[in-house]
Amino acid sequence: MQLGFLVDLHLCMGCKGCEIACKVENEVPLSTWRLRVKYVDVGTYPETKRTFTPLRCNHCENAPCERICPVSALHYIENGIVNIDRERCIGCAGCVMACPYGAIYIDPETQTADKCTYCAHRIASSMMPACVVACPVEANIFGDLDDPASNISQYIQDHRDVQVRKPEKGTNPHHFYVGAGQVNLNPLASERIEGYNLFNKITKLPLGGHHE
Amino acid sequence: MIHETLAATNAVVTLDIPLPDVFWGWYVTMNMWAKSIGTGLIFMLFLLLRKNPDEMKGLRTSTLIVSFIFMNIFLLFTLADLHQPFRMWHIFFYPHWTSAITVGAWMATIFVGLEFLMIVLGFQKKTEPFDKLLFWVTLLAIPVTLYTAGIMAEATARELWQMSTESVQMILAATLSGSAAIILLAGSKLSEKTQKFFGVILGLSALLAFIIYMSEYIFGAMKSEEVAAILQYVKGDGEYATMFWIGQWVAYILPMGLVALSRTSNSSSILKLAAILAIVGLWVVKHVWLVIPQLLPMS
Repeated sequence: MQLGFLVDLHLCMGCKGCEIACKVENEVPLSTWRLRVKYVDVGTYPETKRTFTPLRCNHCENAPCERICPVSALHYIENGIVNIDRERCIGCAGCVMACPYGAIYIDPETQTADKCTYCAHRIASSMMPACVVACPVEANIFGDLDDPASNISQYIQDHRDVQVRKPEKGTNPHHFYVGAGQVNLNPLASERIEGYNLFNKITKLPLGGHHE
Repeated sequence: MIHETLAATNAVVTLDIPLPDVFWGWYVTMNMWAKSIGTGLIFMLFLLLRKNPDEMKGLRTSTLIVSFIFMNIFLLFTLADLHQPFRMWHIFFYPHWTSAITVGAWMATIFVGLEFLMIVLGFQKKTEPFDKLLFWVTLLAIPVTLYTAGIMAEATARELWQMSTESVQMILAATLSGSAAIILLAGSKLSEKTQKFFGVILGLSALLAFIIYMSEYIFGAMKSEEVAAILQYVKGDGEYATMFWIGQWVAYILPMGLVALSRTSNSSSILKLAAILAIVGLWVVKHVWLVIPQLLPMS
């Protein structure tokens, strides 16, 4: 079994329901996110549009975070999920530095690394991840990539524009996007203008170790 | 850059909350800097043993103690940078051998243990076993110096750090700071000829490291879009441009000139000044190179 995710960006309307469901389900502390929706505005007024891209851990087949973790706190489980053992993590932040997708954070409450686990605890109880359940338009498609009859496999077969983030990194992500362009997937494809963010003053909880 | 950044399409991120950016800050800079001095001194002591063993007298124990102190500074900052420092023992009881952090932690621990043993031998005036052990400790100092480059290479998100260049830079940092440290430490205990020898190592290390940085600075942008974006932080009015050039001048350019001047004027004071500048400047250079890739948004 190889679990994977696919987001159809044609359907996503940026409601952030998935983000909130994830926060609640996993008790993700303030100032950290396992899943977040990025907004990118494209074009010049009046010809503008807003794009929405949910971003989460890609559960890579060749995960740099798993490789660099010195104590195997990040590890694969049999269904292909890259899971994390908080009790073992020493908080070296090697995984934070190794993830090309910026998907790992240090939990300010436990002082350990954390990230999306595809709701591994729910899957163990035969439930769908919280973000899948919360999505009002079924833009999140989750299932077994090894099963050609699964929803996700069918979706991949039926759509030609299936992409992953940063394929050049050789990580083989198990998280796919349909209907994505460079602005969705490439962080360097859009400008980040100081003061033009919808949220400009984010309160960040203090972390241990040292940060600048 | 790609088409979405053209004025015609104008793509602007209006909502994204990236996770905190600089995770490896000056604690990690201290880690790399102190380790360079610690292993560099071992390299220089070994060279001295091979070149002129007579001048080792009085330098064996003192050099080892200084190296040992810097290796412990390195370990202290490594520990302090952990968010769960009291779980450090997990590295030894749950080791994950694909991680350069694990391999490095084990090697550095063995290295420091052997250094302690050599200090004991030095105090007991057991010169012969000391010198025999120095050979093996010098061999171990090579991977201990290099493993940080492995960690940086495994941080694949930061495309600027490539194992090939970083490993050479780590060795050069060790030979630069090691030669500088032994010039300051041994001082008049060394003959003029030996001082000049270490001066040459200092000057050549500075030259080679400077060439590599300039190669990255000029040609790095041609490698990839990410590297090009990262290098913007040290170019023009980039956030770290001033600090980058201060580092290059203090660590490399000025010491190179001062080493040449010390040779023509036979001045050990100028050589010592070059040594001080190299050690100070190395911290700045390492810090800039550590921080700039972390400024780039990952998502």
